[in-house]
Amino acid sequence: MICYFFKNFAFNIFVLIKQYFMKFIAIISLALVIFSCESKKPSADQEFLDSLQSLTADAPALSEEVISDIIQQIPSPLEISYLLKDAGTRYDAGMLNHPDNVSKYNSNFKKALNLGIFGTDLGYANIYEQNQDALSFLNVIKSLADDLNIGQFFDFGTIKRLASNSRNLDSLLMITTQNFNQINSYLQNNRRSNLSVLILTGGWLEALHITCQVAKQNPENEDLIEKIGEQKIILDNIKLLLEFYVKDPYIADLHEQMLEMDRIFSQIEIIHTYKEPSFEEVNGILVVKDNSSTSINITQENVDDIRQIVLEIRKKIIS
Amino acid sequence: MKIIFKIFAIVTFAIFLKPDVVQAQCNAEALATSCISNLQDGFTFLKTFKVDGQSGAKKKVEYSYVFSKDTQYYLSICCKNEGTDGIVVTMYDSKRHIVSTNFNNGKFYAGLIYPCNATGIYYITFTFNNSQAHCGGSVLGFKR
Repeated sequence: MICYFFKNFAFNIFVLIKQYFMKFIAIISLALVIFSCESKKPSADQEFLDSLQSLTADAPALSEEVISDIIQQIPSPLEISYLLKDAGTRYDAGMLNHPDNVSKYNSNFKKALNLGIFGTDLGYANIYEQNQDALSFLNVIKSLADDLNIGQFFDFGTIKRLASNSRNLDSLLMITTQNFNQINSYLQNNRRSNLSVLILTGGWLEALHITCQVAKQNPENEDLIEKIGEQKIILDNIKLLLEFYVKDPYIADLHEQMLEMDRIFSQIEIIHTYKEPSFEEVNGILVVKDNSSTSINITQENVDDIRQIVLEIRKKIIS
Repeated sequence: MKIIFKIFAIVTFAIFLKPDVVQAQCNAEALATSCISNLQDGFTFLKTFKVDGQSGAKKKVEYSYVFSKDTQYYLSICCKNEGTDGIVVTMYDSKRHIVSTNFNNGKFYAGLIYPCNATGIYYITFTFNNSQAHCGGSVLGFKR
């Protein structure tokens, strides 16, 4: 009996030790993997920080949280591309950045901004099902993303396969959006939000540029003019984001240009009227009736001024 | 750096040794990603949101986004099982007026369509009403 008890006890102890030992091995492996990943990071981060002379490493944790909150507010440039297509406007590759320009971008500052610009161009080409152009943009995006050590987030094989067939549009837009979202969260988690801010700024500026150019060709289209006026809200966020990094001379210069743009946007008035919403159920889904509204007071002169300043800022970035 | 690494290794080790903690972990990211397939036809994917109430310790998870006039947004909530597990999403405008919610007339809806009529910054707030897991994910899509 005693012998059985000791045997059983010893067996249980053995099982327990074995379980913990396995867990221990698993943890050690995990720790080694994490450590090996960590050990690679400083060179990439340092390279970026050196080139940008940014102070992100010293930024307080709260600032990073605030930055993340603001970054995630910025709407996808795809929303504007859909507006342009729905407005019946034609695809115009001449408005977009030329993929050949990629060889001009030697600093990480320009690479990040132009990654955002080409990202918007890719979305625009995709929505208009311009597969050949989309593939060209994809190649330069890959090159810029690799240079910035974030190429691993793009599933280029899958994207290229989807881009070759216009029937895959939904999947294509989903995967590219997901990849950009993953980049943003990776950069924010690794205290490289400055890079994220530049990518978003480039993407937003390009969407505004395209809208301004299309509005010029379609001056009667009030939706486009209103959309330009609405960008006042986004510009407020962009200014705020850049402000975090104004100690960097490149970003300070870009921030100054945005302030100039803001002087034009400050003449535009957005009036918001709130009214309580109502609800109805349709096929098990709750459909809201939004009774609120906005009206935007913007003149043709404002639109012309915005178009001009966007052209000037963009020219400095893409050339 | 080494000290941080050591602390991290010890904490991770301790967490892994406590089976009850492992079971309580919330994989909000996986739930949010799986939620993408819930997007209604015609809606283009925009974002996922992680909803981790940290087993009830966190009462509110909040995000914000600029919604555009004349655009319809679809927001879906996913949790481990069917339904919303008491997860309530409420959307507010920049002045904190309620513009939308998935909890209406005592019923939780896993999906809601919000046709935006006023461009601006909106807050997307997730709270928990008798939730078991306090854990979920959400996806946002749009169409014009």
